[in-house]
Amino acid sequence: MDFTKIENQRVGEHYFRMKHSSGLTVIVYPKKGFHSTYAVIGTRFGSIYSRFMFNGKEITVPDGTAHYLEHKLFESEDGDAFTKYAKTGASANAFTSFTQTCYLFSCTSQFEESLKILLELVQTPYFTKETIAKEFGIISQEIKMYDDNPDWRVMMNMLCGMYHNHPINKDIAGTVETISEITPEVLYNCYNSYYNFHNMVLTVVGNADPEQILKILDSSLRTDSPVETKLLIPDEPYSVVKPYVEQIMPVSVPTFNLGFKEKCPSDYVSEKEIICTNILLNAFLGESSDLYRRLMDSKLINSTFGYEYMEALGCRSVILSGESREPKAAAKMILDAVRKLHNEGISQGDFDASKNVYYGKLMAGFDSKHYIAGELIDGEFSGRNMFDIVDIAADVTLDDVNKCLETKLDADNVCLSVVKGE
Amino acid sequence: MFEFIRNKICEGVTFSSITDDRFKIGRQSAVLIVPLSYETASANALLTCVLARSCKKYPDFTSLSKKLDSLYGASLYPSVQRVGEYQFLTISASGIEDRYALNGESVSMELAKLLSTIIFEPNIIDGKFSADEVEQERRQLIETIDSEYNDKRYYAIKRCTEIMCRDEPYSISRYGTRQQVEELTLDDIYTAWQRIIRESRVELTMLGSTSPENACEGFSQYFSKMPRTPAVITPVQKKPSEVRHITETEDLSQSKLVMGFRCQYAKNQQTFLENSLMSAVLGGTPTSKLFTNVREKQSLCYYCASSVNSSKGIMVIDSGVETENIEKTEFAVMEQLEMLKRGIISDEELQNAKLAVKNSLMSSLDSLAAMQSYYIGGILLEDNSSPIEAAKIVEKISKERIVEMAQKVELDTVFSLVGN
Repeated sequence: MDFTKIENQRVGEHYFRMKHSSGLTVIVYPKKGFHSTYAVIGTRFGSIYSRFMFNGKEITVPDGTAHYLEHKLFESEDGDAFTKYAKTGASANAFTSFTQTCYLFSCTSQFEESLKILLELVQTPYFTKETIAKEFGIISQEIKMYDDNPDWRVMMNMLCGMYHNHPINKDIAGTVETISEITPEVLYNCYNSYYNFHNMVLTVVGNADPEQILKILDSSLRTDSPVETKLLIPDEPYSVVKPYVEQIMPVSVPTFNLGFKEKCPSDYVSEKEIICTNILLNAFLGESSDLYRRLMDSKLINSTFGYEYMEALGCRSVILSGESREPKAAAKMILDAVRKLHNEGISQGDFDASKNVYYGKLMAGFDSKHYIAGELIDGEFSGRNMFDIVDIAADVTLDDVNKCLETKLDADNVCLSVVKGE
Repeated sequence: MFEFIRNKICEGVTFSSITDDRFKIGRQSAVLIVPLSYETASANALLTCVLARSCKKYPDFTSLSKKLDSLYGASLYPSVQRVGEYQFLTISASGIEDRYALNGESVSMELAKLLSTIIFEPNIIDGKFSADEVEQERRQLIETIDSEYNDKRYYAIKRCTEIMCRDEPYSISRYGTRQQVEELTLDDIYTAWQRIIRESRVELTMLGSTSPENACEGFSQYFSKMPRTPAVITPVQKKPSEVRHITETEDLSQSKLVMGFRCQYAKNQQTFLENSLMSAVLGGTPTSKLFTNVREKQSLCYYCASSVNSSKGIMVIDSGVETENIEKTEFAVMEQLEMLKRGIISDEELQNAKLAVKNSLMSSLDSLAAMQSYYIGGILLEDNSSPIEAAKIVEKISKERIVEMAQKVELDTVFSLVGN
């Protein structure tokens, strides 16, 4: 079995990809002249995986399980992984998102030792009542820290205001109540389903040699038989739950999220749709746009204003966010402009400028090991490719973007979420 | 290819370049360094924001943004920081390297020109900045000041250091006060601009593959016409007389505990690195004394970390805890600090901390932003050594030195933001 080399002329870089005999997909992206190496192993198992099929059996787990599992996998029978990494000097961490759990390290020496620790970490689950109980206090404090974070609350409240049934309306870490239901059996069930190598990807970016890595994998990985896993998502209506949600918190400047809910005709968004959406949003409300200027002149936004296109299995939305003294007035001005945009479309001049900006943004990403690793893992799970995005973006036309607009930014299907002070 | 050059352009103005062809984005900055003072902090901060948003040629932020769009979405952004008892006013420009420009433009040259122009040829008519632009930035700066309260971890640390250093310049916020920002006149902004270009210490940096001469030229021309008198200060050093406990209440799920300490002020890189290593052993890594004992053994919190500010000589330890555990956590922190002072550090703990600090130094070589912040950090220490050299110094630091540094750590102020 060999690596396939995948390269891109525009970027001037390449990477190596293979499906290892263990079942693990492996991607090695060398960055010439780099001192550090960044390695991430990820599973397609995040907070929205609260109900799933595993080899024909339906499994339901408490909210917050994926995140709890992340914390507990750091600990094995012979001690926690932080202690092991400490001996190699690697900086290690892990995170859980709506759709993934990733374990990572970054190092400038002793790469081989650190990689072995990472691979051992994901292969040695050790869950007991006692170790689960020990983590309860720590995770409870993490949950409470997020409860006091206005930026996090305003986003979660918006997702609850947009989604009736989709599990994206549940906090990634769960609640103090739901995590108290987590047992060793729950964690082992999840582990056996999604920490099977066929559901995982390893990416190594930076100072990295594919042959050296392959040798380490050959000697460190068990061989997994394929498993059948499938996330179960309840039917989700197109309409939002409610158009406005509000929470009072101790803040001086109110903060808002305005979400535009979309239909999900396929599991994942295509490369072209991501490109068109980004160009569209930059042209419509980027810093040089007419709308941005009007929002600023009316004192309705400040430089924290921004946009993103959010996607998880079974949900998609454009999210605008920022601080505003008058979030409702900001939303009204935006929605009026959205309606006008649907009538008029994007102009050729704005399209050309935004396409240029997007090209610069894409290029900037390739300077960051974290960005590259993240995109590669996302790509494996969603069937997209980061190099293809660069090439497709070069050929995108104004017509493509205006066509994309037809299914985007439905001004009658939005949720405005606001966090403000008393 | 990697080359570091540092040249004095004129009195108080230095140009540093790192030529490195590994990146797709280049980065140029002008860092204007002035003493932190009650009288000028807010005018300096607002001026920095105004400068970065417009100039004579591009008189409002929309026209300037359009220009940046045409340079493949290049960015130009202001930042105001408090470093020791200095105020660092930075305007940075970053954009794609010339070899990636699709039509053969020189983005780096355009950005170099833009950066010097916005500082020296702002949008001034008859000795006044544009009132519209100033109002726009004033409103946003006030919102930035107000929103510091939104982030409770940041806010609690800020309150603790404000209280601790109440009679020292360090207690001045990087933006000055909200009221001062509200009261600034157009004349104040103009005066601040004139004072800064004459009296600030200026560090110009260029990182990327552009020829340093090109980037430097614009600034040299402007500065060569100008008499300069840069100011120098020494930070105020204090010892705590007695420990103060201050409590504020807030509608929060989690209480915040912030402990402010006095520690050794670093005049040189050796001391700076010794302080950093001491803090890493105590609470800077996931195997540090605080993480291992306060989080892992006692499950009191999600985070409990120390961070040392060597350019002022203070250290802060903070944690998010249940209200009933505030005292217990404070006690647990003091217990770990006491162990460090008594020299109870295993060889393994010291070795682990060294590896972590060295890893962080070496990793900075792979990011232009991190490299820039590393070299800017060296300015106050008057030290140009590379991260590689710094890593070698860290390797040689003895346990005895760590203990000596720890023994200089004295508790000054404990601030609790107590939730419900």
